[in-house]
Amino acid sequence: MVRILLKKQLMEIFRSYFYDTRRNKARSRLSTAMYIALFALLMFGFLGGSFGSMAMSLCAPLVSVGAAWLYFVLFSLIALLLGVFGSVFSTYTGLYLAKDNDLLFSLPIPPGAILCARLLGVYLMGLLYTSVVIVPAVAVYLLNAPFSVGALLGSLLLIFLLSVIVLLLSCLLGWVVAKVSLRLKNKSFVTVLLSLGFLALYYVGYFRAMNWVEGLIANAAQISASLRSRAAALYVFGRMGEGDGLSMLLCTLVVGVLFVLVWLLLSKSFFAVATATGPVKAARGGYSRVRRKSPDAALLAKEFGRLGSSANYILNCALGAMLLPVAGVALLLRGSALVGALNGVFGSLKGAVCVLLCVMLCSVSSMIDTAAASVSLEGKNIWLPRSLPVRPWQVLRAKLRVQLLLAMPALLFASLCAAVVLRADALETLALVLQPQSFALFFAHLGLWLDLRRGNLAWTNELAPIKQSLTILIILLGGFAAAALPALGFLLLAPPLPGSVWMLLFALAGFLGALLLRLALRRRGETLFMEL
Amino acid sequence: MLRIEHLTKTFGDKVAVDDLSLHIAPGEIYGFIGHNGAGKTTTLKSVVGIQSFDAGEIFVNGLSVRTDPLGCKRALAYIPDNPDLYEFMTGSRYLNFIADIFGVSADERTARIRDYAARFELTDSLNQPISAYSHGMKQKLAIIAAWLHEPRLVIMDEPFVGLDPKAAFLLKAMMRELCDRGGAIFFSTHVLEVAEKLCDKVAIIKQGRLIRSGTMDEVRGDESLEEVFLELEAE
Repeated sequence: MVRILLKKQLMEIFRSYFYDTRRNKARSRLSTAMYIALFALLMFGFLGGSFGSMAMSLCAPLVSVGAAWLYFVLFSLIALLLGVFGSVFSTYTGLYLAKDNDLLFSLPIPPGAILCARLLGVYLMGLLYTSVVIVPAVAVYLLNAPFSVGALLGSLLLIFLLSVIVLLLSCLLGWVVAKVSLRLKNKSFVTVLLSLGFLALYYVGYFRAMNWVEGLIANAAQISASLRSRAAALYVFGRMGEGDGLSMLLCTLVVGVLFVLVWLLLSKSFFAVATATGPVKAARGGYSRVRRKSPDAALLAKEFGRLGSSANYILNCALGAMLLPVAGVALLLRGSALVGALNGVFGSLKGAVCVLLCVMLCSVSSMIDTAAASVSLEGKNIWLPRSLPVRPWQVLRAKLRVQLLLAMPALLFASLCAAVVLRADALETLALVLQPQSFALFFAHLGLWLDLRRGNLAWTNELAPIKQSLTILIILLGGFAAAALPALGFLLLAPPLPGSVWMLLFALAGFLGALLLRLALRRRGETLFMEL
Repeated sequence: MLRIEHLTKTFGDKVAVDDLSLHIAPGEIYGFIGHNGAGKTTTLKSVVGIQSFDAGEIFVNGLSVRTDPLGCKRALAYIPDNPDLYEFMTGSRYLNFIADIFGVSADERTARIRDYAARFELTDSLNQPISAYSHGMKQKLAIIAAWLHEPRLVIMDEPFVGLDPKAAFLLKAMMRELCDRGGAIFFSTHVLEVAEKLCDKVAIIKQGRLIRSGTMDEVRGDESLEEVFLELEAE
């Protein structure tokens, strides 16, 4: 039974890699391999690469003073934080809110089997986030430390146990979110608020970690000795990575016991939580007269309504809209120090700071990608926009507008803040405003286009289009890469142009790209939408 | 009101609808009968303009679905076999959304929503999210939404599924009312007794081909519709 459910769960998660929904047939092996390679490249090449470089700077100093255990503990904690943060709020949806709840509960399947299959989805998500940190760290360790079979086994066990710990923590927090959500009226709002709090903590920790890391490298031996006596559990966990047999056994036992306890908690409450409906407002009042809207305004309101109804959608696809104003204010308050530091390093290249500020703004705006999931999110409701007397382009345009309305005003504010801090001249101000705007325009159109090409309407859990789709990954990480491209070009090629002119050239390219995509959407997009 | 001329639709090698022609005049309630997978839903979706077709033509109120899909959609309303509505909206918000799209004025929509909601006993639930509705409530909401812009033609796929007896009776009355005002109804059903009592004309489809159509008397002769249908299916 569990095997059948696991197969179904895996099919759902990886369906888009093996099945072309547009052509309604299985992808070729080559196409599947290419999709998987692209996914691996984006996740491990991009995110993994940054953690890998951090591991390279830390591994040798710590191993040389006999503090390899501390190295493993440090990266395990980062992996744990990323893994739990990456999956905690989707755990609630993934475990309890799948659309096939009624179907599965009506079949002669023990709820435990359903829970087990759903846990696999949560586990894979946690494993993905954890691996991005811990796999490069382990690889760097195995390359730097003397090779032994014990160390290899220990580090592999560490990766596995760490992913299980992430699963346990995500499930526990997901269970708490479920319990709290059932009592809340504005679930999405509260969830978003909690997540933002979590995110703020993460970033505070991340920025402080830089100082901690510097201190750690300088005083590795003393810190290792001090921590070893004060935090024995962490020491044992870290020793596992070095291949210490007793530590491996102890950690396995402890994680095993914790797994059983969490399993008991979840399995006992699973059916009750998954089938709970939460509070429904008492029936009162009837229909109240409202003002008439134009079809375009109605479609836009509908899209914003969809966004506002889902904390997952907001957190995964609109986070940048909340971060951009924060970034703008932060620039006004602390930006002069940043600009001074950047000038100190890149001052020889005229306008380099302007280029780097544009990169920063574009990177944050990459976290706004609502359009890239918006078509897939129609799901079974797709008959509605198709059957209404509106052009498919109107429906698509509403989806685009949501992203543009989230990104462009917030970007404009942050750009102007950056211009103030930089004391930018007219050309630099123009570049700071236009390049991020063109970037936002281009990626909104690209996201919508990709979702039309690779749309998935057959999901049973909204996380599939919002978080697990290749389209979202391409747009998010591709956005980061594209944001960095002008800076890399400027710093490496050192063109005989001021940074502002260089960025205006990229702005022009962005506007042209957006225009081409818009034409493609208008010409081909309507047909794609009707044929999905 | 609705003219389907030589409609053909294939999915790969499978011919879902094969050279189907039907004419539905104003004032007619036209039933569409066939076994599962016979091609009913494919035909209805083609009429509504949410599915392309390979050959043939469909005219709604004289307008071609191919060349003027928006004109056709403005004249008709569609209720699918499963009322998958926007669950993040409340009932009121959903009805307003549909009314906005069809350009129904604030006064007209207020009067109609209050009237239909009262008839279907949905008034108290209008401000609840659709996610909290039962299947039958969603079906009632879909019906109200369909009638909101006073369509000339209503296309329905199994509209009585999930409705309680009172709502089913009400829907039948509304169908007749609409046809008496010069509109037309084209709907699929497996409930042959309903089709027999309600429809002015009926069409039977088998493996994508129209095997019999006409007035109820022409189709059934001296037998019941059920007997005729089963005989035709057995052939």
